[in-house]
Amino acid sequence: MEEGKNTQSRRKFFSNTIPLALGAITGIGLLSQSCNNDEEEGETVSVLSSDGQLVQVKKSAMTPTASPNVRQGIPGKSFVMVIDLAKCKNARKCVSKCQKMHGLSTEDEWMKVFLMQDSNDTAPYWFPKPCFHCNQPPCVKVCPVGATYKRTDGIVLVDNERCIGCKFCMTACPYSSRVFQWKEAELSEEMAERDYSPESSVPSKVGTVGKCDFCPDMARKGILPDCVSGCPNGVIYFGDKNEDIVTNGNESFRFSKLIHDRAGYHYMAELGTEPNVYYLPPVNRIFDYEDGFENLSEDQIKFFKSSTVKKH
Amino acid sequence: MDQDPKTTRALNFFAAQMVSISKSGIIQLIILSLFILGGLYALIVQIIEGHIVTGMRDNVVWGIYIVNFIFFIGISYAGALISGILHLLGVPWRTPIIRIAEIITVISTIIGPAYILLCMGRLDRLDHLALYGRIQSPIIWDVLAITTYLIGSIIFLYLASIRDLALLRDYPFKSKWRHKVYKFLALDFNGTAKQNRYLERGLNIMSAIIIPLAILVHSVLAWIFGMTLRPGWHSTIFAPYFVVAAVFSGTGVLIIAMWVFRKYYHLEAYITKIHFNYLGIILMILGALYGYFTFSEYLTSWYGSETWEMEVLYRLFDVNEYWWLFFFAAIVGVLLPIIVILIPRFRNINSITAVSAIAVLALWIKRYLIIIPTLETPLLPLQDMRTEYIHYSPTLIEWLLTFSGVALFCLLFFLFSKFIPIITVSKTDDRKDYSELRTLVMKRIMKRKLKEAQLKEFNKS
Amino acid sequence: MNMRYRNFLLIIIIALFSNSALLAQSDKKKTTKIRVEYFNKNNTTEYLLLTLRIKEDRYIPFEDATVLIYSVGDTSNVLLDKVVSNYKGEAKFYISDDPLIFRDSTGQMTFEAEYVGDDQIKSDKESISIKKVNMEVSFFQKDTVKYIEVSVNEMAFDDQKSPLSDMEIKLSVKGTFSNLKFADEKTDENGKVIFEFPITMPGDTIGNLTIVSKIEDNDVYGNIESEGEINWGVIVPLAPEKHRGLGDTDAPLWMVYTLIILLSAVWFHYIYVIFLFFKIKMARKAI
Repeated sequence: MEEGKNTQSRRKFFSNTIPLALGAITGIGLLSQSCNNDEEEGETVSVLSSDGQLVQVKKSAMTPTASPNVRQGIPGKSFVMVIDLAKCKNARKCVSKCQKMHGLSTEDEWMKVFLMQDSNDTAPYWFPKPCFHCNQPPCVKVCPVGATYKRTDGIVLVDNERCIGCKFCMTACPYSSRVFQWKEAELSEEMAERDYSPESSVPSKVGTVGKCDFCPDMARKGILPDCVSGCPNGVIYFGDKNEDIVTNGNESFRFSKLIHDRAGYHYMAELGTEPNVYYLPPVNRIFDYEDGFENLSEDQIKFFKSSTVKKH
Repeated sequence: MDQDPKTTRALNFFAAQMVSISKSGIIQLIILSLFILGGLYALIVQIIEGHIVTGMRDNVVWGIYIVNFIFFIGISYAGALISGILHLLGVPWRTPIIRIAEIITVISTIIGPAYILLCMGRLDRLDHLALYGRIQSPIIWDVLAITTYLIGSIIFLYLASIRDLALLRDYPFKSKWRHKVYKFLALDFNGTAKQNRYLERGLNIMSAIIIPLAILVHSVLAWIFGMTLRPGWHSTIFAPYFVVAAVFSGTGVLIIAMWVFRKYYHLEAYITKIHFNYLGIILMILGALYGYFTFSEYLTSWYGSETWEMEVLYRLFDVNEYWWLFFFAAIVGVLLPIIVILIPRFRNINSITAVSAIAVLALWIKRYLIIIPTLETPLLPLQDMRTEYIHYSPTLIEWLLTFSGVALFCLLFFLFSKFIPIITVSKTDDRKDYSELRTLVMKRIMKRKLKEAQLKEFNKS
Repeated sequence: MNMRYRNFLLIIIIALFSNSALLAQSDKKKTTKIRVEYFNKNNTTEYLLLTLRIKEDRYIPFEDATVLIYSVGDTSNVLLDKVVSNYKGEAKFYISDDPLIFRDSTGQMTFEAEYVGDDQIKSDKESISIKKVNMEVSFFQKDTVKYIEVSVNEMAFDDQKSPLSDMEIKLSVKGTFSNLKFADEKTDENGKVIFEFPITMPGDTIGNLTIVSKIEDNDVYGNIESEGEINWGVIVPLAPEKHRGLGDTDAPLWMVYTLIILLSAVWFHYIYVIFLFFKIKMARKAI
């Protein structure tokens, strides 16, 4: 080699340290990711809530303004829904009221009603299905931008202003709960001019994902969601698990007692998503499942009567 | 710089081609441009009217855009794995084909992710990926992996081209801008020993890195599907399966590209039967491996009794639905290349290229069969009456954009070939050069001639 | 004889026809129904809930109708206020210490609600007589058993309390959307009744539980509701906040570290190779 030992060792030094330094800088920069995103944890404040209860709320959940923190959730609550399959007659009022409330077209359904038949010998039954607001939501795991998130009150919401429309959550949800806005929705003028909030999910935005949201904006005022109050047979019960009370607008029950007495269960519990919607089995039904056909079109009735209805 | 006379001859040959364009070339360009214009029109329609113009609906939310994305990323393995592995192993006959392979990688890694952008509902919020990205999401893994992979393959291509760029810089081209660009890109490479050392170091590093990187990229892509709770997707072998399928399709496209360039650029002297044979053998091995994975996947599904798995399988095996596509993709597409390449009588340049084309098409269809039937069989019963929600059929817009993507691939390849010789002109390193390759070919021809002569003698007596 | 019967028959027929003609006239107007209910919440807020319905094939809520509220006195009615019904056909009139409201010697108030109507809608009137009641909810503990005591007294004109016996008290636990009924008893001769506290019901984070005591639809006293709060419910701690997980904003630490290591390793090599480019350029042969 022509170069002297000095230049060679200098070269070696540079070729070793500069990349190391660059790597260190990158590493430190990326390491900041591992730091917690919220400030001092664990500090709570005593707050008098709107219904006169003294609640311990985390300081990080408090916002100085009057607008609610839509990412944290209503403090102290844990919303749960119980659907009584023994009373469902496919009246589809839950479907239409939800559509009306959120400005959906008649074809987009956030609450769906299926005709289920667990096996060829068993009796079919009508199965209303909202979003289950799972405690281990597969949709929240896969969202690349955190547009869908789980709150402390159990509700899973979609922030339509952050959603990039990749539809990964739609493939990840095993219960087909999510609906995509393929074209601009036709909203009434009043609805189109409202301020958007993930709690009301109105007005909808094209190119984003929507789903049942358990109506947290109404829950804040103590009003039941429209699907619950609109059901003519009182099929859907809604309430706060922490209070242990669920109601369908007319009757109230202790949630734990209702599930215990009527053998409430989760649909496809083995998927491990831990839903917050419980079903009461269709025992001692008050309607025949065929009574539910009166709200369907000819084609639909033909479809349901022909093949073995797909079941689980 | 003292040049090997063979190098000078090659350089003259390619330089002449780079500045001219044949009549058939012009016609091909026009056809490609028409396809691309069609794609542009489709893109504008989709942006204005929204995704409703595609065939995607609430159940099948990912259509042929995602199929194309997986397809193109799969093709990119040509450069990454083939070129990288061949470089590391020091295989002598790789010299004429590595540039084609690397260009395939770069172009397909640019076009593939474009299809994801087409599939996104809100392109105006692309910055959210950087601002709010969650690293728990397989899509973010994919974004990071593909960006890294693209940068890596560009660096790899560039490194492998520096010597040629230096030669081109010194060649008396008529246009001034060519000289300027080559001078900038050639990094004042003069062939000194030290420069060669650095270049070799860079090439070794990049070829070593690009192999695990490519494997990781396609595994991450497979995990986008494998991490969901859907039958047909939630399979543990998805990542290796996708990697094998990708190398298979990459080799196939490489063979096709070799054949195209050999024919239209008259490269018979450089790309010979040996290359097709060796790559054909690689294709055959990969085809067998891919067939093995496919068989294992479907046998395991079929043997069990889980209702949701059987639903997807019945749909695939249903004669009215996907059976013929499945037959072509999983059976014909695997067996045909193996048979044709295995039997020496059927093995020639054209037949190898033909089965490669069939294999590549079969793999596109196979990816379609992975994505769409699973999405058409959700866990909850499909009781929707609207036909477009039950069964996915791609619309004209989607087909236009698919074909224009392929046309764009060909066009970019064409432009590359006008900028840099499609075959490595200079010596890649001290060990390999054309003389060795030539010797190999001559030896084989001599052996065959000797055998024929001996046979004649034997028959006479 | 026949003539007289025939004349009598004729008169009756004519009378009927004229009646029906009159009836036909009044049939053109739509009928309305007004219902008045009295509510007393927590002994402080008293109001009348008026529900108006109008008949269009069947009775539906009558929106945007003006109802006049009068206080019925010994000699005359005094107009107190006008209220307008909402989309549910409901209107509230809050009863204050207005001196215009007439209370008789027993402390009873009588109100009359009138919907005036116009040439297309019939008017309707409804009156209600109410005596004010004071209902207190209190809590006490005896030998580790927890009880709720409800005491009901009638409030006379001069704030004199007299206990009301045999009043049906319904107890419920207050919830976000509804109240859960758990007991139903009648008061004794002292106007008091004792219930066992539902100690299995969950309260909030410090065990606060609100007990709602109601008397519903009493003819004399209306609807009375009172609340009491005590922290005897089961304590429900706030759910522990999850920090790092697949479903949270922050990723599990092992994921973060793996990603940092992988990305740094690869990009470090890229930067080194780009550095090599510069070295190649520097190492050119001196011309």
